[in-house]
Amino acid sequence: MSKYFEDLAQSVIAGQQERVKELTRQALDAGTDPVEIINQGLISGMNVVGARFKVGQMFVPEVLMSARAMNGGMELVKPLLVGQELPSAGKVVLGTVKGDLHDIGKNLVGMMLESAGFTVVNLGVDAGPEKFLQAIKEHKPGVIGLSALLTTTMLSMKDTIEVLKEEGLRTEVKVIVGGAPISQDFAEEIGADGFAPDAASATDLCKKLLA
Amino acid sequence: MSNYFEDLAHSVIAGQQDRVKQLTQQALDAGTDPVEIINQGLISGMNVVGARFKVGQMFVPEVLMSARAMNGGMELVKPLLVGQELPSAGKVVLGTVKGDLHDIGKNLVGMMLESAGFTVVNLGVDAGPQKFLQAIKEHKPGVIGMSALLTTTMLSMKDTIEVLKEEGLRNKVKVIVGGAPISQDFADEIGADGFAPDAASATDLCKKLLA
Amino acid sequence: MTKSQYVRANYQVNATPQFHVLSEHQCENIYYGALEALERTGAEVHSRTALEIFRQGGCRVDGNRVRFPTRLVERAVSSTPSRVVISDRHGHRSMFLEGSNVYYGPGPTNTYTLDPFTGERRRPKKSDTVRAGIVCDALPNIAYAMDNGTPMDVTPTLADVHAFQALLENTVKPIIHWGFGIEQYQDIVEMAAAVAGGLAELQRNPFIVLYSESSPPLRHSEEAIDKAIFAAKTDIPVIYTPCTFAGGVAPATMAGSLVISVADFLVGLVAGQLVREGASFIMGGLISTMDMSSSILSYGATELSLLSAGLTDVARHMKIPMFSTGGCSDSKVIDVQTGIEAAFSILIAGLSGASIVHDCNYMEYGATGSLELMVMDDEIIGMVKRILEGIEVDDEHLAVDVIDAVGPGGHFLGEMHTMAHFRDFWAPTLINRLRYDGWKAEGSKTMGQRIREKTQNIINTHKPEKLPDEVLRQIQTVVDRAEAREAAKKISK
Repeated sequence: MSKYFEDLAQSVIAGQQERVKELTRQALDAGTDPVEIINQGLISGMNVVGARFKVGQMFVPEVLMSARAMNGGMELVKPLLVGQELPSAGKVVLGTVKGDLHDIGKNLVGMMLESAGFTVVNLGVDAGPEKFLQAIKEHKPGVIGLSALLTTTMLSMKDTIEVLKEEGLRTEVKVIVGGAPISQDFAEEIGADGFAPDAASATDLCKKLLA
Repeated sequence: MSNYFEDLAHSVIAGQQDRVKQLTQQALDAGTDPVEIINQGLISGMNVVGARFKVGQMFVPEVLMSARAMNGGMELVKPLLVGQELPSAGKVVLGTVKGDLHDIGKNLVGMMLESAGFTVVNLGVDAGPQKFLQAIKEHKPGVIGMSALLTTTMLSMKDTIEVLKEEGLRNKVKVIVGGAPISQDFADEIGADGFAPDAASATDLCKKLLA
Repeated sequence: MTKSQYVRANYQVNATPQFHVLSEHQCENIYYGALEALERTGAEVHSRTALEIFRQGGCRVDGNRVRFPTRLVERAVSSTPSRVVISDRHGHRSMFLEGSNVYYGPGPTNTYTLDPFTGERRRPKKSDTVRAGIVCDALPNIAYAMDNGTPMDVTPTLADVHAFQALLENTVKPIIHWGFGIEQYQDIVEMAAAVAGGLAELQRNPFIVLYSESSPPLRHSEEAIDKAIFAAKTDIPVIYTPCTFAGGVAPATMAGSLVISVADFLVGLVAGQLVREGASFIMGGLISTMDMSSSILSYGATELSLLSAGLTDVARHMKIPMFSTGGCSDSKVIDVQTGIEAAFSILIAGLSGASIVHDCNYMEYGATGSLELMVMDDEIIGMVKRILEGIEVDDEHLAVDVIDAVGPGGHFLGEMHTMAHFRDFWAPTLINRLRYDGWKAEGSKTMGQRIREKTQNIINTHKPEKLPDEVLRQIQTVVDRAEAREAAKKISK
């Protein structure tokens, strides 16, 4: 069976969604425990991808393809996790701030988080303080992530944090920020809980904040 | 008369050999003291050239033209220095070392030395230890200057110094070295008395060594 | 989906960026200028052997002065192979010096070295040549090895032989090497033949190129021209390279300097072709300006790039491979000046399509060799290679279908098309593109620090392929014999 899990992990690493689906289906047909498929096959492959990305052996588009491939397998396994709910690593609400239509970075973070076992609620672009407020009330996430690419829109991150304070929700949720013009300094200035320079570190950051 | 000397000096600075000759001849015809022509006109102009070269306002070809212009005037004045021999700043034997046919740097040094009042004996290129030895015996210079452009020929500088030692002539003459691959370190290593990085400093160096 | 079936008329493609300094007519004019200088002024030759060869070959010889009839020079040019293939130490053909193929590497005989561990500027030792071999061997964009400094802890007249031994034993890449004279060249060829498995094998697939430098204007020392003759006789490729600096040993005009450089190369070429018609020659030309303040031959001058590219155009016109210059600097340490000068000259030399671009290690107008500079240049060469690959334009690369599939506001990161092509982007190894915090987390290192670390890392960890023990013994025998010969000379003196 270990050879099979190796094949599955390799297909995730290679970003071959169709192959991942096929192998997952075969395994399920053979009666393999869904949790094992996830842990020893899908997530095991994604861990390799993460490690390779960090040392510069794999690049963003490849990580994305791997995440997609993994999610392809996940979709098949999830419905079968009867009773044994897959333990979520946590819930994260993501959004690009008001006035900003750039979402490639945020979506990347979303895919990375999902492939690391987080539940992600994606608010899309142009998300003002009210939209985040509503999402927190509705989804009760552990973390909200604000993204901005423009220096003209990054200031609205502070507005959102202020609104959370006013509503008495600031201590209920961790706030992380990211995007081209954002830095650790800026995160501290506006009173965010964390900053991630890239999608891979965003995952690590969420894990740390929710530990 | 001071205006005349100024004209002469300026013609030296401008490198106008024919004008320098003409002005010198006029002055001589008018009965001016040859030593005054030299000191207040020709050398005075050349001093300005030297100063301007050092601060990067004049460049090598211009210095060369000035030196030529000055020498043009000198040739006319020298024969008239009856009794009052123009005091030579010293005698220097120059040569490019054995196996090396590069002589532009050495010739530049020669012109600079001459314009500073030195008597120069130029051995040309491909000058081995014996050629220097013979020249020392014949001309009894205060300084010999060896030049090399090639890293493959610079080693022969040491041979010449060794031969001088063997012949008991090493302390009769100062040895200076120069050329693209030569440095102060190298000069120290082979036991030379001095190193000059460029033609202008070679003149200063000779003055210092013979002071 | 592809476009409907179509054919095109008069469609032209730039497979690479286009760059020429001189037109065909201008090249011709410079070539004719050189022919006229050789026929009218001629050259001074200080070798009895060469004078005799020229006389018998039909030149007009008057004392040391040799005047070259145009027909003789033209015959020499036309009998010179338009391509030279250099192998690696295994005899695998690896450098194809033809057309506008470009190969980069270091230069030789620096009198100082910048120690990549201490930062000290000091005299090179044989152990530094070993390091040079290792670093050349390791760097992907360095095509061949050269010594990076004359070792000064060995018998001075055998520094060339020792340097060659050190390179030979520490890199499989081709080696371009200099020599004091014929005796040393014989030692070097013998060592190389021991590796190749005999002289005939070395001649068939040469992995060494000999190198001889003449001193313009129009003057050729015995050593310089005899070395070219030796190479032709021995049937080993040779680079004949006049060291021309505008305003000093050549006219202050760019065209006049090119005339001197071409003419002086042709003197060596004619000698070689008279000895062996069809001998492999590579046109050298270190060509730059004389700095009119310091009187150095500048290795960082913009004119070095301009003149070298012009000379490369003339070489291509003559259909002779070109040995050009780049990746060098007048700076004394690895600093911003080094970066500017190295990047500029590597780019222009690359665009010019010179066969070999040497001196990717020269600091301080050539006085100092630096392995750190070579490591930095390796990165710059990578960038330039990407530029030279140009932009492909066809249906696949126009990607109109993908644009339609992604649509407005989408992104291309997750497209198979992106997967298929993003690795064509040049990926840096030293250039830092981390986010500020990431860079800070890695120690806030400057480019200089990163270069030094990489250089040290290569020297500490790269293990070049070893030569067989028997070959090592044969090489050592040649070195020992050369030592005995020099010792005997010293005694007889």
